Amino acid sequence: MTTDDEPELVHEAAELVRPYVITNGRDLVDDSAFSLLTLVTVAQEPPRTKPLDPEKQSLLELCAGGFLSIAEIAGHAGLPVGVVKILVSDLTEEGHLYVRAPIPSAQLVERQILEEVLNGLQARFG
Amino acid sequence: MTQYLQDPALWALVAGTPVAATAIIRGRKKISELRKEKLELKQHYAQLEEHYAEAVEEAKDRAEEATKNTLKAAMRTLQGLASEQQLTISKLQETYGEHRILQDLLDIDHMNSQFARRAQSIAVLCDGWLGRRRNDASLYDVVRSAKGRIRHFTRVEIRSQSNFAIVSRAVEPVALVLAELLDNATSYSAPETVIEINIRPVPKGVCIVVDDAGVGMNEEEKARAGQLLSGGNAASVSSLGNPPQFGFTVIGVLAARYGFTVSVDSTSPYGGVRAVVLLPDELLTSLHEPEEAPAVAAASTPLPPENPPGQQGAPLPGRHRATAPPPSFGDSGADAPAASETTAGGLPKRRRRGAISIVPPAAESTPTPARDSARTASAMGAFQRGTQSGRRSTQASSEGHEVP
Repeated sequence: MTTDDEPELVHEAAELVRPYVITNGRDLVDDSAFSLLTLVTVAQEPPRTKPLDPEKQSLLELCAGGFLSIAEIAGHAGLPVGVVKILVSDLTEEGHLYVRAPIPSAQLVERQILEEVLNGLQARFG
Repeated sequence: MTQYLQDPALWALVAGTPVAATAIIRGRKKISELRKEKLELKQHYAQLEEHYAEAVEEAKDRAEEATKNTLKAAMRTLQGLASEQQLTISKLQETYGEHRILQDLLDIDHMNSQFARRAQSIAVLCDGWLGRRRNDASLYDVVRSAKGRIRHFTRVEIRSQSNFAIVSRAVEPVALVLAELLDNATSYSAPETVIEINIRPVPKGVCIVVDDAGVGMNEEEKARAGQLLSGGNAASVSSLGNPPQFGFTVIGVLAARYGFTVSVDSTSPYGGVRAVVLLPDELLTSLHEPEEAPAVAAASTPLPPENPPGQQGAPLPGRHRATAPPPSFGDSGADAPAASETTAGGLPKRRRRGAISIVPPAAESTPTPARDSARTASAMGAFQRGTQSGRRSTQASSEGHEVP
């Protein structure tokens, strides 16, 4: 039987490998462990393991250039953020990746201190 | 002697003999005629019986055909809906990637895949199509796709990767066949046991070996399975048994249609069934390893056309761009795989699918230029504003020196 007349999928097909297969059906990683801004880079001495899944391999390639945030990785890899977190968490446990907490944003200085400084300056120059 | 001649009995005998002979001959004739008639009747009867059987068969065929057509149409709708739904789920997963709801979306995705597989199986039995994929896919991805279509997919372990890829038209059939095998394997083995998949290159192609640790099959079951898997007898919706058993029938039909073989007659090392799918070379293509350069080239090619308008900094073209991009992005997104195919032949195309299988080639190349051009535009704009404000503030001598 010829198969040349087989119609193509009418709709644009979704990805062949579904995200739940990539994570092998595991639960999402706890939010406290990774945030969108957690920084990731490849470990200095990656362990020798059996071949990684293509997705994990591409994550490693993405991170090879320096620190990338989880959000950026998800954007580049085209995977849901939660799935990326699971993969990163895996790779970190296996020693392929090194994870750094996000740089904390600067704390706002208290108003009282500012007032004191202002008063001091006025007292001196004003 | 004369006394005999005078005996009337003799004369009676003389007269009687021809009569008797005639009678006997007639009787014989009659008998042979009757026999002939009987034979004719028998033939006639056989003919009638044959006609009747033919009529019944024909009616059955017609009924089967009608059933198949109805089911096929129904399944086509369901298949379409399932794939549409899968796309929607994909988008939702993308949108809500950082929310807890992602877990539920992944579960729904899983259920949808199983649902789609069921619809596909029935469509196959009704001589329907599975829908052809546009691109070749790596064997590893096809196996993983198959894994995702059964309920207890976490029990399936894929032990080997390979550099082989499957040609686009065979992607769905092979995935469906594997999914049916895995479904059988998980159904007929203990819940805590693992189903193992190995990929082995052989002289005739590639073997996908599925081993389970179940109870195995007896000789009778093996014979029946072998018959179904050979795809020799046409599949019929009405002879699946009760409860209906789709698996082997579906596999047999697909194997015959696409020209690969499936056997389940050996025993796995764990005592269960070993199923072997042998894919011939015609259905295979290869994944190439050294493809980093073309991939980079493909990613950077969209940049040039994006940048010049930004650098020109003219407000009108800029505005023009701003309205134009959505369609052009969509286009470039759709065209990018084709573009990368044409730029460097088959190499980049296969590479993409191999290494970053779930990443559409365009997805990472197009947004980058978009962001870049926007950034460039804003940088140029800021620069221009800066120089203008610098020119205006003539008092600042140092700045004044720098600007002209």
